[in-house]
Amino acid sequence: MTGVRIPSSQRAQRGARPGTGVPQRPGGTRAPSAGPLGWLRWAWHHLTSMRTALVLLFLLAVASVPGSMLPQEGIDPQAVQQYYAAHPALAPLLARLSLFNVFASPWFAAIYLLLFASLAGCVIPRTFRLAGSARQQPPRAPANLARLPFAARHETQLAPGEALAAAAAVLSGRRFRLRTGDGWVAAEKGYLREAGNLLFHLALLALLAAICLGGMFGYKANRLLVAGDSFANTATALDAFHPGRAVSPADLQPFMIALDKFQASYITSGALRGQPSRFDALIRYAPQPGVAMRRYNLRVNHPLTVDGVRVFLIGHGYAPVFRVTDGTGRVVFNGPVPFIAAEQSGFTSEGVVKVPDARPRQLGFAGVFLPTAVDAGGKLGSAFPAPLNPAVSLVSYAGNLGMDSGPAQSVYQLDTSGLRQLPVAPRPLAPGQSIKLPDGYGTLTFTGYRQWISLAITYDPGTLPALIAGMTALAGLLLSFFVRRRRMFVRAYPGPGGHTVVDVGGLARSDAAGAFETEFTTLAGEISSADRGSEPAVPAGGPAPGSRAGHAPALDDQTEGE
Amino acid sequence: MCAHRGAAAVAAATLTLAACSGGATAQGTPAGNGQSFVSGDRGTTVFGGSNRPLAPAVTGTTLEGTRLSLSRFRGHVLVMNFWGSWCTPCRAEAPTLASLARTLRPAGVAFLGVDIRDTAASAQAFQRSFNVTYPSLNDPGDAIALAFRSTVPPAGIPTTLVISRGGRISARAIGQVSYRGLRELISKTLAQPS
Repeated sequence: MTGVRIPSSQRAQRGARPGTGVPQRPGGTRAPSAGPLGWLRWAWHHLTSMRTALVLLFLLAVASVPGSMLPQEGIDPQAVQQYYAAHPALAPLLARLSLFNVFASPWFAAIYLLLFASLAGCVIPRTFRLAGSARQQPPRAPANLARLPFAARHETQLAPGEALAAAAAVLSGRRFRLRTGDGWVAAEKGYLREAGNLLFHLALLALLAAICLGGMFGYKANRLLVAGDSFANTATALDAFHPGRAVSPADLQPFMIALDKFQASYITSGALRGQPSRFDALIRYAPQPGVAMRRYNLRVNHPLTVDGVRVFLIGHGYAPVFRVTDGTGRVVFNGPVPFIAAEQSGFTSEGVVKVPDARPRQLGFAGVFLPTAVDAGGKLGSAFPAPLNPAVSLVSYAGNLGMDSGPAQSVYQLDTSGLRQLPVAPRPLAPGQSIKLPDGYGTLTFTGYRQWISLAITYDPGTLPALIAGMTALAGLLLSFFVRRRRMFVRAYPGPGGHTVVDVGGLARSDAAGAFETEFTTLAGEISSADRGSEPAVPAGGPAPGSRAGHAPALDDQTEGE
Repeated sequence: MCAHRGAAAVAAATLTLAACSGGATAQGTPAGNGQSFVSGDRGTTVFGGSNRPLAPAVTGTTLEGTRLSLSRFRGHVLVMNFWGSWCTPCRAEAPTLASLARTLRPAGVAFLGVDIRDTAASAQAFQRSFNVTYPSLNDPGDAIALAFRSTVPPAGIPTTLVISRGGRISARAIGQVSYRGLRELISKTLAQPS
């Protein structure tokens, strides 16, 4: 990352250059001098080198690969369990290497901390160097201004001192920074370039800090919410919760959200028939308990911002409502069950109903919800995602759900190992219709359906600082791209014939285009006319004798070649 | 040259984004209250003397529809159990809790459930199944869970709290409780004057 840092080989060369008087340090920095300090300096030097930063960056990219290839604890703990079941020998080994939790693993942390150190080690010294450079005086004027890329000469009646003063007045009027010497004026402009560069590097550090801030104090969570229900942003009420390192559950903003209604609109004709055109989740929310609820229409890409937390609408589905009466005649289940869409064109959704407290036997049902049920040649399907002809088709089970002991279960899966499928004629149910179970096990009624939405809750306190830092970095970068540092030199000396000869030279650093040429011509012209204007008595008219403005011949070829 | 460095840095920053965040779901002790606690075996935490957190004042509606406030249990040792009829370890520990509630009632120990993410029909069927005689508060909008958010951890269903006569949380058990384990926590709390 530090191209600025002079490579040690170059530094050694420079030190050895005759005439500089700087003795070459024995051994340079390449081989560390004896002692721990030498080794430290050597290590720091290499850590902050651009090559190391690039290697670390590459390592970071490589290290992220297993995070996307293998299931991750933080994202999908169930998938990790499945991986354990599928690869019983390999999984513990991978777990030892933190490969199921790559982004929180010590070796991953080692890479990014080294990278951060490397970046900081580059940017901070560079910042000081740039700050110094922004305060720099213009250099002394070279002896022969005609050798500069841009040069002009004119003669004047003024004394050399007066001519220089006039030139200085012109340049300082154009906000050049001036330095004067014996018979010369040096001027420089475009310090904003260094300021821009400085700004860019500082903003870069701020950006990194902001991103880390977000990672430390932010969190991500998910929640499925059925219409008519409400929830509070607290860990037990969330389906998935991924806090940053410094987040404790008590830090969560205690807002509440209630879903009144969800409406999905679909394209009803043409080639795109069945494609969603609009989702509207009509919610009410309160920033904290006890505060009046406010209404909001939550749409895709139109998140709710509450207490600095953003809540996105990321999914939706149907939750058929079932009422189950068991063999004893008691209602043992009555509520919506979220089903998950298995396909998009007809939004056929799958789900399970578990009734662990039914007597005499526990009951389980697995099946599909069909928003627009159609019978296509004896095969049941859904023709459209909107609920035009809702129906459910279920397979009924009785026995042991496996919920009274053992590991926790997913609410979306039915463990049929302890269950017996009941001989019920397969028949889709319309709202209000029931299945009467055999053997006096009870009745299931499909009473209707509700819709659900799934919400992504994200809190990232680093977003705004990162945005500001990013924009500042961009502004700095643009400044350093578009502002050019340019220098003007003026020398005045007595010429033949009693006139004073005024040499004007110009030099633009990193000037690819000819923008400086125009500026130079204008400035040289102004200096020349200022001299003339101050002359005691001169016949008017004509361009200043001997005035020439143009490129040095050698540079001409270069510019044309580009 | 500077632009190259800039691009590299931005790329690095983007990657660092993933690195800084925790990633894993925090499960365990909610830090941050400055509580000094003695951690027992597995998911059990015993809060020491003056560091016992005060139980928040909550009022809710029971599954049967009556209003009930936590303050009503002042003067009793209260065992508070966060559960759901859908939750396997809750079902596994239900007989233990129901039995302890009956046994310890004469000793002045009250039990109260908080039913999380459940429907009234399922919850009442659960209570019948396990012969649960103590009341449970319904928590449809998570108001009670919110009030207890610093003591009941994420993915912390079931969680059992033992609250002293003075309304302070003296112990917390995350996950399925054992008869002996819970009985011991209750005995310790019964020994506390307030």
